[in-house]
Formats: sequence, C-alpha cells, structure tokens
Amino acid sequence: MSTYQWLLVFHVTGAFLLLGGGAIAAALNLSALGRERPSEILLLFGLVRIAVVAISIGTALAFVFGLWLVHEAGYGYFDGWVVAAFLLLIVANALGGAGGKRDQATVKLAQELAASGDAPSAELRARVRDPISLALSYGSGLVLIAVLALMVWKPGA
Amino acid sequence: MLALIRPDSWNFPLFLHILGATVLFGTVATVAIAGFAARSRPENAQLLARVAQRTFMLGIVPAYILMRAGAQWIDSKEFPNGDEPGWVGVGFVISDAGVILLLVVAILLAVRRQRILLAVPVLTGLYVIALGVAWVAMSGKP
Repeated sequence: MSTYQWLLVFHVTGAFLLLGGGAIAAALNLSALGRERPSEILLLFGLVRIAVVAISIGTALAFVFGLWLVHEAGYGYFDGWVVAAFLLLIVANALGGAGGKRDQATVKLAQELAASGDAPSAELRARVRDPISLALSYGSGLVLIAVLALMVWKPGA
Repeated sequence: MLALIRPDSWNFPLFLHILGATVLFGTVATVAIAGFAARSRPENAQLLARVAQRTFMLGIVPAYILMRAGAQWIDSKEFPNGDEPGWVGVGFVISDAGVILLLVVAILLAVRRQRILLAVPVLTGLYVIALGVAWVAMSGKP
C-alpha cells in the first residue's frame, strides 16, 4: 500500500472512533433518560467514559492524519473545505466538552444520592434531562456528521 | 492521485454508507460494553440487557440497513459490470456474514436468560473487530 493509503487508513480509523464513540455515548445517554434510580443513572453515565476515550483517540487520529493527508494529496491547508472541517471539529469538541462538564455535575449528584438510599430524585431527573446538556451533546454529534459530509464532498476541491 | 478523483454522483451513497458503518460500529460496541458490564455487575444485569436490546433495535438494525444499502448503491455506480476488486469482497463478506451473527445476538437478547446472555458481549466484540478489518480494507484498498 502507498503512503496515501496508509494515511487514509489511520484517518478513517480516527473517524470511526470519533463517530462510533459518539454513537456509544448517545445510546447510553438515551438509556439513562428513562431511568429513575441514581445507581442506574450512575452506571450508564460511568460507561459513557469508554465512549469519551474512543472520541479522544479518534479526534487525535483524524486531526493528525487529516493534516498529513492534506499535504500528501496535494490539497492546500487554506482550502475552504479543509479550514471549515477543522473549525467544525473544534466546535464539535467544544460543544461535547461543555456538555460533558455539565454531565460530570450530574454524576456527582447521582453518586451522593446512590450512597444515601438510592431513592429517585426530581433534581437528578431534571439534570439528566437538562435540555442545555442534551443540546450541547447532540449538537456536537450533528456537527461531526457535517464534518463527515465535508470530507466526502470536499466542496471547492 | 487517481484515488482522489470521484464523480459527484458517488458522494451521497458513500456518505450514507460511511455514516451507517460508523453508527453500526458504535452501536455494536455499545451492546458489547453493556454485555461485559453485566458480567461484572450481576445486580444490574436486567438493566444492561434492556440497554442492549433497545440499542439493537433502535441503533444496530437501522445503521446496518443504511450501511448495507449505501454499499450496494455505490457498488452499482463504481463497478456496474460486477468486476469488484478484492477489498470490496472483504466488505461484503463481513457485512453479509454479520447478518447471521447479528440474528444470533437478537435471539439471545430476546431469550434473556442469564447464562445465554454471557455470549452476547463475545459475539458483538468479535463483530466489532470484523468491522475494523472491513474499514481498513475499505479505506486502504490494498
């Protein structure tokens, strides 16, 4: 295989970990929305950490090998679609990071409630279904799908 | 540089194929994660079995259809005479054999017996590895 093909393999691996990790986080988050017991919410939010590891590794691989591919394939670093893709990747990470921070506060509350009787709580339920957290996390996923579309169509290339 | 040139009409089916494949990878991995977690947390086994079942029906099934339909669509455009290279064959073997494996997983999740459910994370874990082989073949085109 050529250098270009190897670089594409690692770049695509990054994309799979990134988007696949997003799918893992979404599936576990949707499952947590329907739960009431703090220990169950804690378990599902805890498993999301596996998705966060996949997303982090995927972002690094997609970014580094994406930059290398731009050079190897003869595209320009300031081509519109390249700049847009990297900006959107930063936006997706910022949105996901902000949503994740809010989720950490939810995990802390779930830990406290699970340790003190594990009774359902209206506050925890509201935090799990917090529209701002959900908008940040799912917005991040939608931006990543837009990045995938840019990678496929390469408008202006 | 020939590999970089692609007619515009191929882009939409390729986009659907990749989107379906990435979501399929993530949702199959979710079922594997839930299955392995259930092994170490028997007190939450019923909850995790429900998570796996819901993820299967609402995630794996539509993602598989999107991935497979996109694959067939782009294959008909890229290789209209059926003269596919080996890397395309790798993808079709893994996706089509995957149907059998996923059917077995669906049956195990429907039966929901504790001891039978132990096989779910192993089967889905194997399929995650197979999907990894497929994306290496699809992107590297060796």
